Amino acid sequence: MTDRHILIVGGGPAGLTAACVLAEAGQRVLLVDQAARIGGAIFRQPTRRPACVLVPGAQKKRWLRLAARVAACEDRIDIRCSARFAGLDYRGAAMVTSDVNADGLIFFPRAVILATGASEVVRPRPGWTTPGVTTAGALQIALKSAGAQPRGDIVLAGSGPLLLAAGAQLAHAGNPPLAILEEGRPFAHPLQGLRLPLPYMQEAALYLTTLMRHRVRILTNTRLLGIADSMGRKTLTLTSNGKPREITADHVGLHDGIEPNDYGLAAPDGLNIVRAGDCRASLGARAAEIDGEIAAQSVLATMGLPGSSVTRCRLEHEVLAQERLRQIFRPARPVNVTDLPAETVICRCEHRTMGDLSTLAKNGPVSARDLRLNGRFGMGPCQGRFCLTWASRALGGAPDSAELRGTRWPSRPIPIRAFVNAVDQTTDT
Amino acid sequence: MTRHIVWNGQDIRFADGETVAAALAKAGVFDFSQEGKAAAKSVFCGIGQCQNCLVLCKGHGIAEACLLPCSDGLQVQSLSTAGRAAHD
Repeated sequence: MTDRHILIVGGGPAGLTAACVLAEAGQRVLLVDQAARIGGAIFRQPTRRPACVLVPGAQKKRWLRLAARVAACEDRIDIRCSARFAGLDYRGAAMVTSDVNADGLIFFPRAVILATGASEVVRPRPGWTTPGVTTAGALQIALKSAGAQPRGDIVLAGSGPLLLAAGAQLAHAGNPPLAILEEGRPFAHPLQGLRLPLPYMQEAALYLTTLMRHRVRILTNTRLLGIADSMGRKTLTLTSNGKPREITADHVGLHDGIEPNDYGLAAPDGLNIVRAGDCRASLGARAAEIDGEIAAQSVLATMGLPGSSVTRCRLEHEVLAQERLRQIFRPARPVNVTDLPAETVICRCEHRTMGDLSTLAKNGPVSARDLRLNGRFGMGPCQGRFCLTWASRALGGAPDSAELRGTRWPSRPIPIRAFVNAVDQTTDT
Repeated sequence: MTRHIVWNGQDIRFADGETVAAALAKAGVFDFSQEGKAAAKSVFCGIGQCQNCLVLCKGHGIAEACLLPCSDGLQVQSLSTAGRAAHD
């Protein structure tokens, strides 16, 4: 085959920008996204009905510009939504499966751009597995894609600018959170905020004025210690400015930051694989568009094709801004995972607790093998995405979380049926 | 015409474009477990990463409720112990 597709995994700002750059250079692209529509988490579009979600005007404009660019080269970009990238085999064959149709595909991509975006970091807390406790991002995605939000009292807790964005969006949609519990003290040094680029400040101003208008309480230097559930109503134990406090709510949205969504993304030697956007480094949506372009240009370069040079200084600018944001939201008190009570669930899939971890550690150092085979940590269907980092930290850093994670396909459970149904284009080449 | 999915034998209404998780949340169903099992069985990450919202769906097999789109008459049920074992 001479006209092989370049595979892009993820239809957010990085993946879509990369797709456009490649298509504009005459390449054919196959782009897969697990969601029902392109846009990624940041530009998530309503699935059918228009949802009225509060987003900054500049963000709306950026999406319209990107969507128009994608539309202009749609004859060269094969977009498959509700589809998944299962992985790459040792030959460099990629497998793509579909959630809605039995039209999976096994093929040799010319190159692969991984643009799978970010994951939310959520620290274990007692009660965090209770139904009605989700990530703050999950509330945001439900709102953006279906205009849906839970009824009853919502509390957002953890740390980071996403809590303010999600809170403002929930308020704008009609159910303002009861409170936002922020571990840092982002308003303690207002001058720090002034050093952020203008678009960041405009976004912050939009969210903060919305939160103020709806009288949403923002408690800073406040840590959520645990959640107790009684018939769906939750009692949240906190320490706020060093003082113990309790509040009750029906829904809790947790969020302790974001990290690259690159769990288990192995890159076999000799294959042309590039990472772009938040999947490479969590730098936000603006940086993701720039990074998508850089990734596409580097793919073109490795294929010996001419591209245009990208100004990397635009990316540096975003790196600096994100570093400043991190400083602003730095937790006021250090986080100590080893202090968690014994009943705290660490592995959500198989309900393995801090107590189970202590039992394992009783007889000396715990190896990666012990942790998995005897402890059953990291053995559930999420493959350890949500527990191994914390298990490692609770054990004092050994075994190391990178060693525990490993790199292996598939990155997600894939039904055997998908393998059977997939059209295999690799056998005739 | 209202449209429904069938959750553990019970009709649940859904609107166009909703996922199974969204339709269940609207109906006040947040706990997807069969008999209050200890391990988490509800929506957590909302983007198909945590696998905590796995359900058994006729025609699809095991699927994440947060990604699975609703369609009229779609039959969805809690994951049984047997279903969980099959997924390992």
